[in-house]
Amino acid sequence: MKRITFLTGYYGSGKTEIAINLAIQKKVDYVVDLDIINPYFRSRELEEYLNENGIDIISSDMSSKMHLDMPYISKRIYQPINNTNKRAIYDLGGNDQGAKLLRQFDDYHDEEYDLLLVVNIFRTETDNAEKIIQLINKIEGISGFKVTGLINNSNLLKDTTLEDVLAGEKVLNIVSELLGLEILYTSIWKDVTNDENLVFSGEALKLNLYFRKNWF
Amino acid sequence: MAKVLMKGNEAIALAAIKGGVDAFYGYPITPQNEVPEYLSKHLKANGKVFLQAESEVSAINMVYGAAGAGKRVMTSSSSPGIALKQEGISYIAAAELPCVIVSVMRGGPGLGGIQPSQADYYQATRGGGNGDYQLIVYAPESIQETIDIMKESFDIADYYRNPVMVLVDGLIGQMMESVDFDKPVKERFLPEKDWATNGTKNHPGKINVANSLHIDPNNLEKHNIHLQEKYNTIRKNEVRYELVNFDNPDFVIVAYGTMARICRSSIELLEKEGISVGMIRPISLFPYPKEAFTKIPNKVKGLLTCELSHGQMLDDVLIANNGKHKVGFFGRSGGMVPDPEEIVEAIKNFDERVVN
Repeated sequence: MKRITFLTGYYGSGKTEIAINLAIQKKVDYVVDLDIINPYFRSRELEEYLNENGIDIISSDMSSKMHLDMPYISKRIYQPINNTNKRAIYDLGGNDQGAKLLRQFDDYHDEEYDLLLVVNIFRTETDNAEKIIQLINKIEGISGFKVTGLINNSNLLKDTTLEDVLAGEKVLNIVSELLGLEILYTSIWKDVTNDENLVFSGEALKLNLYFRKNWF
Repeated sequence: MAKVLMKGNEAIALAAIKGGVDAFYGYPITPQNEVPEYLSKHLKANGKVFLQAESEVSAINMVYGAAGAGKRVMTSSSSPGIALKQEGISYIAAAELPCVIVSVMRGGPGLGGIQPSQADYYQATRGGGNGDYQLIVYAPESIQETIDIMKESFDIADYYRNPVMVLVDGLIGQMMESVDFDKPVKERFLPEKDWATNGTKNHPGKINVANSLHIDPNNLEKHNIHLQEKYNTIRKNEVRYELVNFDNPDFVIVAYGTMARICRSSIELLEKEGISVGMIRPISLFPYPKEAFTKIPNKVKGLLTCELSHGQMLDDVLIANNGKHKVGFFGRSGGMVPDPEEIVEAIKNFDERVVN
């Protein structure tokens, strides 16, 4: 994993869950919550948990940051980039609109970074390769950054089957071939498979759902 | 369409399109913004009307006008926004025009907060508007149920010439679920809208007027009596509820929407401890499912009303219970959502919860 990882993707494709899971599993130093689009289920809600795991969370400086849907972000968001011995995950808001926030990092193109696109093919706006490529073009256009890899997060939450994950892989393989982008991770729900020998594109990322309560 | 993963608000919007909505008028407010966002993209693309008004008051009056013209119309908002719409809602109900109003509740009173709440039960079922009127109110607990009810709501509104409110909280609006849009819903015979103010071509010589002003008290009372008869028909025909775990319960929970979802988990936890708890889950809040309460076994030790508010549906539970059982109350508010364990505790210490 690169020192700086930006996560982007279509609205509701699971960026924040992936961000938290990667942060915990890869033991990064910072999670930067740049989501100014969603009012609920943002990584800043997990501040306490992340802190306990030695991860600093940077979001808004406002005192009631958790429950505001105002587009304020902290000036501390540059800290992980300037601190070259630290690793960070930047969790962007959805779509090209969410990716717009990358513009403020225009001066940091030389840093070692990944901009990964999280895809769930069961979201209707990214259910085929053409739509996904269109989204990549939009995100790259508006952010000024190149997408450098893909994450297959195809799921139907608790209804997810192994076939669903593989259907996502099939679609992303087309994108991968056309754009020369690698699938770096495939997310795996604990109930989907227990078979350790199955091989997915990229690393299998076993998901622990932090935002979903058992009664959802 | 196979199963897809959708956010509640997006699902409301797509279900409205499937339900045949012709026009949406609204004004943004969290946590329902994905409804207009989705519709702004997809209604216009299909030759329908999407209009972001300058305020909630304008939006509801646009709904009034377009509903009067016989179109299928909707608006959506959240708590303070729905409060602003009350005048128009009363006018629409008085003029007997069909429309669908989506209310995605957040914490109140006043501007409150943006986290989920159920504190607009009174607003939905008692009305913030003036006069003896009723909305038909549905409170689904899942995104699939929200979709099915949304699709059907336009028919129900047309059938009774009455506004239908789909009442959810911010959590249902914001959460995601895998859903199926093709699940069939009940079909109704809908007569021509010969009352619509859409010109006289189809009814030469007959001029239709959409109006809520009746200066002559004789006429106004007659109109009121007619409305009451209609509401009684609705009470007879449109009650919806679900009975959960009703085999041989020691206690019965009464809860709707998100709170009912949480209580399902509480019921499972209690079952493990040997305490059998059933649930009445009202799906229609008006008409309120009073008949469900007649199915509660005599030996039940009490009813626990659970809300994300401070005892609003409790009134209807007390009326429906009619003094028969002890009634207790558990509520959280302001956007605080309880864990199932809190309701488990409330059942175990039921006596401390009793209000009657």
